[in-house]
Amino acid sequence: MLSLLIILPLIGIFCLLLVPEEKDTIIKQIALFFSSLTFLFSLFLWVLFDCSTSKFQFIEYFSWLSMFNIQFFLGIDGISLFFVILSTFLVFICVLSSWLSIKKHLKQYYICFLLMNSFLIVVFSVLDIVIFYIFFESILIPMFLIIGVWGSRTRKLKAAYQFFLYTLIGSLFMLLAIFLIFFETGTTDFQILNTIAFSKEKEIFLWLAFFLSFSVKVPMVPVHIWLPEAHVEAPTAGSVILAGILLKMGTYGLLRYSISLFPCASIYFTPLIYSMSVIAVIYTSLTTLRQIDLKKIIAYSSVAHMAFVTIGIFTFNVYGIEGSMLIMLSHGFVSSALFLCIGVLYDRHHTRLIKYYSGLAQVMPIYSFFFVSFSMANLGFPGSSSFVGEFLTLVGSFQSNTIVAFLASTGMVTGAGYSLWLCNRVLFGSLSSQYIVQFKDINRREFAVLLPLLVCTLWMGVYPELFLEPMHLSISNLLQKT
Amino acid sequence: MNFLFLNNEWLAILPELFLVISINFILLYAVIYSTSPFFNFPLLINNISWLTVLLLILAFYLTINNNYLNITIFNNLLVIDLFGNFIKSFILLSTASVLIMSLTYNKFDRVNSFEFPVLIILTILGTLLLISSYDLISMYLAIELQSFCSYILSSFKRNSEFSAESGLKYFILGAFSSGFLLFGCSLIYGFTGATNYELISLLLVNSDYNSLDNSGIIVGIVFILVSFLFKLSAAPFHLWSPDVYEGSPTSVTAFFAIVPKLGLLVFFFRLFFDSFYVFLPSLQYLLIICSITSMLIGSFGAIWQIKIKRLLAFSAISHVGYMLIALCSCSIESIYAVIFYAIIYIFMSISSFCLLISIRKNSDLKKIKYIEDLTLVSKVNPFIGICFAITFFSIAGVPPFAGFFSKMFLFFSAISQSLYLLTFVGILTSVVSCFYYLRIIQITYFEQTSIWISLKKITKEISLLIGSMLLFLTLFFLHPTLLIVLIHNSILSLCM
Repeated sequence: MLSLLIILPLIGIFCLLLVPEEKDTIIKQIALFFSSLTFLFSLFLWVLFDCSTSKFQFIEYFSWLSMFNIQFFLGIDGISLFFVILSTFLVFICVLSSWLSIKKHLKQYYICFLLMNSFLIVVFSVLDIVIFYIFFESILIPMFLIIGVWGSRTRKLKAAYQFFLYTLIGSLFMLLAIFLIFFETGTTDFQILNTIAFSKEKEIFLWLAFFLSFSVKVPMVPVHIWLPEAHVEAPTAGSVILAGILLKMGTYGLLRYSISLFPCASIYFTPLIYSMSVIAVIYTSLTTLRQIDLKKIIAYSSVAHMAFVTIGIFTFNVYGIEGSMLIMLSHGFVSSALFLCIGVLYDRHHTRLIKYYSGLAQVMPIYSFFFVSFSMANLGFPGSSSFVGEFLTLVGSFQSNTIVAFLASTGMVTGAGYSLWLCNRVLFGSLSSQYIVQFKDINRREFAVLLPLLVCTLWMGVYPELFLEPMHLSISNLLQKT
Repeated sequence: MNFLFLNNEWLAILPELFLVISINFILLYAVIYSTSPFFNFPLLINNISWLTVLLLILAFYLTINNNYLNITIFNNLLVIDLFGNFIKSFILLSTASVLIMSLTYNKFDRVNSFEFPVLIILTILGTLLLISSYDLISMYLAIELQSFCSYILSSFKRNSEFSAESGLKYFILGAFSSGFLLFGCSLIYGFTGATNYELISLLLVNSDYNSLDNSGIIVGIVFILVSFLFKLSAAPFHLWSPDVYEGSPTSVTAFFAIVPKLGLLVFFFRLFFDSFYVFLPSLQYLLIICSITSMLIGSFGAIWQIKIKRLLAFSAISHVGYMLIALCSCSIESIYAVIFYAIIYIFMSISSFCLLISIRKNSDLKKIKYIEDLTLVSKVNPFIGICFAITFFSIAGVPPFAGFFSKMFLFFSAISQSLYLLTFVGILTSVVSCFYYLRIIQITYFEQTSIWISLKKITKEISLLIGSMLLFLTLFFLHPTLLIVLIHNSILSLCM
């Protein structure tokens, strides 16, 4: 089942390759068809998922590099289930959202997205660390091309380089650590490694090497520089996929590999994570206030939210980790939706500077409705998905470290500050007609893109148990090791 | 009574023999026809190139069907084993692809002398003999045959100053290194009284490398090592390679980049892993220093290059540095990793040089010289753009392309021998080198330009070659075991 899910986008790529470049509509339709098919197919995973076990399900096995005892082992549990669905969902949204805004090299663009779709599914479902590493790295290539080719300004070169090299330098150390693990144990199978304990010193070294790679991807604060650059320069759909799912690869890696393979080192380094995350929450929330670029605001707020996630993961209790899982999912919906909202403005007026926008609520009422709702969700308003996640995370961190919980909760206040101020500046006030003359509210396609995201956000805020149910056992199983 | 040609010794080197005889016939044919007024002095270069490709393929067939394995012939001058045959078959095929890609070059850059393919075959003959050689004398003769033909090849374009310069530089410096090699050989002969690898290894097996009696041998070994590193263009001895790469005709540059490395590596394995194995621990530091300097110089030197051939030369230096990582670790895994790396490197170089040779502007039919000339190739010809991207991502070692696996096995072998410093430097330099490979991709994809170039159509042969290389590079990760098992089996024969 999982392998079929991986192959579906690849079939889509094959079909796209057969279509001549100038037939735009057919290319778009094929990409949409295959991405929606993949999404619908991935929903079956959720339906068929057995919540009463913490074992890996839908297991598939292919012999790959048997000489080094590396096998292609696929399987998902409650943690990875939602990431698989989120990635297929967001690729579908991306394909739909870039319907008109992308005009050059359409074919290659959609090939990049479909390629990323199957790579992401492999990353979240593979149970072998070498193959995880290979696909974790491979995603750099399509994303590098998306930022570089379809980005908007000349600064995109710097952004693309930063994105590529930051991630590469981090993850090569992970490769080193994987080799060390292989020489220590003779296997790279995650399930077998899960039963092996390393010596304390080795565990600390390995944890650091893994952390270097994941912290760049999350991104934690000292290495977050690439993220705002990459977000600002990438096309809208690129930002959506970057914020929505690529950042989650880092936190997923921390949750799945760092904690379960090196539990002692994870506890040993908890103060480090806490201090880095708290600095991230406070610093990025404050620095968001002084940004003038719409996308940069959302990018910095993503850093703050991801810092919440890392705090939640390292609380080592059920509340914290389930909360962080919920924040990851809700951030996947909310920040993607906000990037899409900004994309709507950018498509119409080709600028992202806040200065030029004001009073949009008078002329774009539906748009303003979406923008306000997602901004509210971004600041963690009760009833939205972020509230549940942030609440659970703060409860969890209150149990393990009160000061951290206190400091992190200041992030919610500043979060409210920048989100409301952003809404205020863009949507309300008088209409600034000296810069922009024509206004058009969102059309049906954009509505269709934003509505499912809003539904998901509200649904998760009102009835989160549906999302939490498959996670419970997997997370408590994870916690038993620590 | 054994008839001469039914003798096993002659049959065992049938591929080489076949090449020698057919080179004579080809020369005869070419000299007679190209000077005949009756046929109006025909240009034979195309004809001869295809004939030599055919020749190489026949030699390949003879090599893989060679049934005389694990024997030494001609008074232990040469050894024939599965490992050697495996490498030989690879070298023959890669030379055939170099000849195929040189067709376009010869056509547009007016290289009309038929000696070009013949010289390449002679170089290959030297390499094949070097792979088989099991004696210092035959080794030296084979290396000289290979080097002399290389000197001529690099100055082959007589009307170009660059080419003459590069040929002269290569010749003078190469003669120095040959002198070192010969001096090293004679020192070893003087101190052991033997030139055969096996005899030397038997004589040295119990010797202590700290004792004064062996100092002459160590000096000799170091001389040989220096010459080897020079030929491989490893770092302190790399200065010739950017100039030679830049000056030589591009088809010859491709030949230098693709073919000789494998042969030299086999020479290293035969000599150092067999005869001088006792001394390897003391030589390890030399190799480590060379490896680190080549990686650093290769990756940092390439950043500021504006000519693409010089950039590829520096990239070759850094790749040699990576190969030396594994040579330092002196284990079976390391042989395996180096051979794997070299083979994947051959594939990547074939594809990159094919692209380089075949991209020509329609306006003046000049080939690409500066990296800037590649600006927006992807817009003019998206398929070439994709080929560039895949090739250079693979050379940079980004998964899931084959280049990543070659680097992975290298670091693997280094870590298995606890060479952590080397691995660390290797990782850092591979990030640095990633930077300039990305620059090529950036120029082909992202740059904005007002001048649009229209490109000449690529010939069918070259596009087939590029296509098959790219298929290999991309699809390798689906089933990596195939090539790995092949290499593994051939290396097992080296250990026996």
